[in-house]
Amino acid sequence: MIRYLSRRVLLAAPTLLGIVILVFLLLHLAPGSPVTAGGESSRRVSQRAAEEMRRTYGLDRPLPERFGKWLGRVARLDFGESFVDHRPVLERVREAFPYTLELNGLALLLTLGIAIPLGVAAGGRPEGPLDRASGAMLFALYSLPSFWAALLLQALFSIRLRWLPLYGVVSDSAPPGWSGLADRLAHLALPVACLTYGSLAFYARLVRASVAEARQADFVLAARARGLSRRQALWKHAFRNALLPLITVLGLVLPGLLSGSVIIERIFAWPGLGRLYFDSILSRDYPVVLALSLLGAIATLFFTFLADVAYALADPRVRDGTIE
Amino acid sequence: MLGYIDESRQGTPVDGGVLRRRLVGDPGTLNAVLQSAGPEQEVLAYLSRNLLDFDSGMNLVPGLAEKYETLPDGRTFRFWLRPEAVWEDGTPVTSADAVFTIRRIQDPKISSPVFKPVFEGLEAVQTIDARSFTLRFRDFYAYRPMAFVMPLLPERRYAGKDFARARENRFPISNGPYRLVTWKSQESIGLERNPKYWGERGHYDRVIFRIVPDDAVAYRVLASGDLDETRIDTSGKERALSDPAVSSRCRLVEFYNLDYNYIALNNRSPFFSDARVRRALTMLLDRGRIVRSIFHGSARVISGPWAPDSPAYDPTVTPLPFDPAGASRLLDAAGWKDTNGDGTRDREGREFAFELLVSAGTTVGREIDETLAGELRRVGIRATVRPMEWAAFIERVDAGDFEAASLAWSASDPNPDPYLYWHSSQWPPRGLNSGFYRNAEADRLMEQARGERDDRRRLAIYRQLHRIFRDDAPALFVTNASLKYLFSRRTRGLATSPVGLFGIWPGPLAWWEETPAARP
Repeated sequence: MIRYLSRRVLLAAPTLLGIVILVFLLLHLAPGSPVTAGGESSRRVSQRAAEEMRRTYGLDRPLPERFGKWLGRVARLDFGESFVDHRPVLERVREAFPYTLELNGLALLLTLGIAIPLGVAAGGRPEGPLDRASGAMLFALYSLPSFWAALLLQALFSIRLRWLPLYGVVSDSAPPGWSGLADRLAHLALPVACLTYGSLAFYARLVRASVAEARQADFVLAARARGLSRRQALWKHAFRNALLPLITVLGLVLPGLLSGSVIIERIFAWPGLGRLYFDSILSRDYPVVLALSLLGAIATLFFTFLADVAYALADPRVRDGTIE
Repeated sequence: MLGYIDESRQGTPVDGGVLRRRLVGDPGTLNAVLQSAGPEQEVLAYLSRNLLDFDSGMNLVPGLAEKYETLPDGRTFRFWLRPEAVWEDGTPVTSADAVFTIRRIQDPKISSPVFKPVFEGLEAVQTIDARSFTLRFRDFYAYRPMAFVMPLLPERRYAGKDFARARENRFPISNGPYRLVTWKSQESIGLERNPKYWGERGHYDRVIFRIVPDDAVAYRVLASGDLDETRIDTSGKERALSDPAVSSRCRLVEFYNLDYNYIALNNRSPFFSDARVRRALTMLLDRGRIVRSIFHGSARVISGPWAPDSPAYDPTVTPLPFDPAGASRLLDAAGWKDTNGDGTRDREGREFAFELLVSAGTTVGREIDETLAGELRRVGIRATVRPMEWAAFIERVDAGDFEAASLAWSASDPNPDPYLYWHSSQWPPRGLNSGFYRNAEADRLMEQARGERDDRRRLAIYRQLHRIFRDDAPALFVTNASLKYLFSRRTRGLATSPVGLFGIWPGPLAWWEETPAARP
């Protein structure tokens, strides 16, 4: 187990460096620069002013020098400051992070909360009426583009019925305490729904497939033979085996909590990381894009590692090195 | 309905209420010197008075300066600040603040894209006493006083601080009618009346800017009554007119400003170095159809680098007609014929095929380009429309690295001087004449106009220039389209101007909320 995990850690370091170099190169080799990227409303600047700006941002230095400097600062946990508002990059990330975590975290919990029972139930009786109905419905939901569904949900719940707020995080006049929490949850309802419905299909079908496969296995039949109810056999034995692929997938999905959703955050004017990332790319705010890419890469590697650990804990064969 | 609006004398303004405005993005800063226009300017209009201001008729009127005087040399200006003008903390606005602000604008380490260009010719700035100071420029320039539509920053607050990183850039000290209360990044900005303001107070108790990046969402927020204004495009207008929920709550405000669309041509390229070819291209663009189909009638065809409402625009210079047959003759005469029979004109072994760049963010620019490409195909010219992401697009345009590019001219002031964009001394990389236009006569007239002190004579020179621009066709001048907004019916006191609803005084500061009780 120790050997297995230490190999995973050692592999992560070069992967991280590779990702960082790649992002740095892609960003700096892409056409456009912070000098010209003020957006369509900004003034065009004269060449002299542009050169002064390039010097201020250090963009007149050769690429390897800039990379070295940046890496040196990052090693001291200094991500520099944004070209756009001259604030420390980490301050901007810290501002946006809770919003994205809140939105995506809730969406993920809700997704799993629905997908797992649904998957287990459908997998318990493959090709049964529930399996068929849920399969068709999930496939239909999966096919709806989220930007379209978002506008539709807004039209229905916010404009016609006026039940839910149209956009934003809180109302201007949100009271403190419990009713304030209700206001926040009301603002979360539509974006969370949009993020949830599409991924439902994926998780529910994944669980369903694993459970359907496991329920045929000898150990489930044996459990039934020992007198466990169908329900107990499904949840205690079939589902636990079905967890393995789910863990692997979660390891890949959890870093998404950090990256946010560009489209949903834009439509609901949600001040999260997805919007920050997107705006920073458009304005060529190199320090912010680099920091978010690096943090995303670290999160991906970290959660993949966690998944590996969880995998080892869940599967004794991995733990004692019989298989990898 | 389509025209200038001035409601400044309609109704009796009442105080109170909350104005809810839309911002398309979060301001990068609220330091008026560092601003790059857009959202920043809209917020700063409430917090930061200018030395001088434009009124809605584009006259310069007193702001923080109660008066200014041009010395006989024509290049030195003396300003007197208002004695009553104070900052939010009660301290007076002084000439030291003015000198400090101008020195920061000039500082090579500071990025001030809005003000740097207009102060490039500044030679000296000097305080005379606490209330007055002088500015001396290298030479006379006809539109120099427009530079004085500039903010002042409080020197003492910035003393000893890193200018670009000072706390004041996010929590500015106001000298205007409102002051900043909250700024939630990417969410909203809240203002309230500045109790220390020295001028006429604003009508609203509070002003809230909501950051709503998406147009479709902003339209809905407005329809739901949660915003009081948003800019819309032609499709938004069509939609609003047929939507009872919106038309009961909102009114359409539509007027012409000084902005226009054009297609820049690279005058150094083998295709467009010949004025006959550039004229032919203009004659192949069916601008009448563009007005009808893209703008649904609310646009005007232009014949030079000005909108029809610019004083420099000569209405007797009629646009070149849409005339494919005439254009073909011009192309033939310029030597572009289909000699190898492949359906595309060629000359000296070069096929007439080029890329027409356009920013991916603009549907209008793209539709104009597609219209042109379609007509060009019919006469044997292959133009490929190539949408590009903005930063990449404008980098190529500014470097002069293109054949043709669709652009929108946006006027932030009424300065009609074409020198920076069409004089041959302003070729890239030095300047912004990115189409490499050169015409000796036009050069001479542009230089002459800059030094001409008499307004009437200067405008006469521009009218001469206008004729040259039409016949020489350095670019394809397309249309001046109307600016469209939806406003809550409660919001009164609007005044439009050739530069729009904003960037003028009092502009939005004269708006007020009509409450049911106050309605006559």
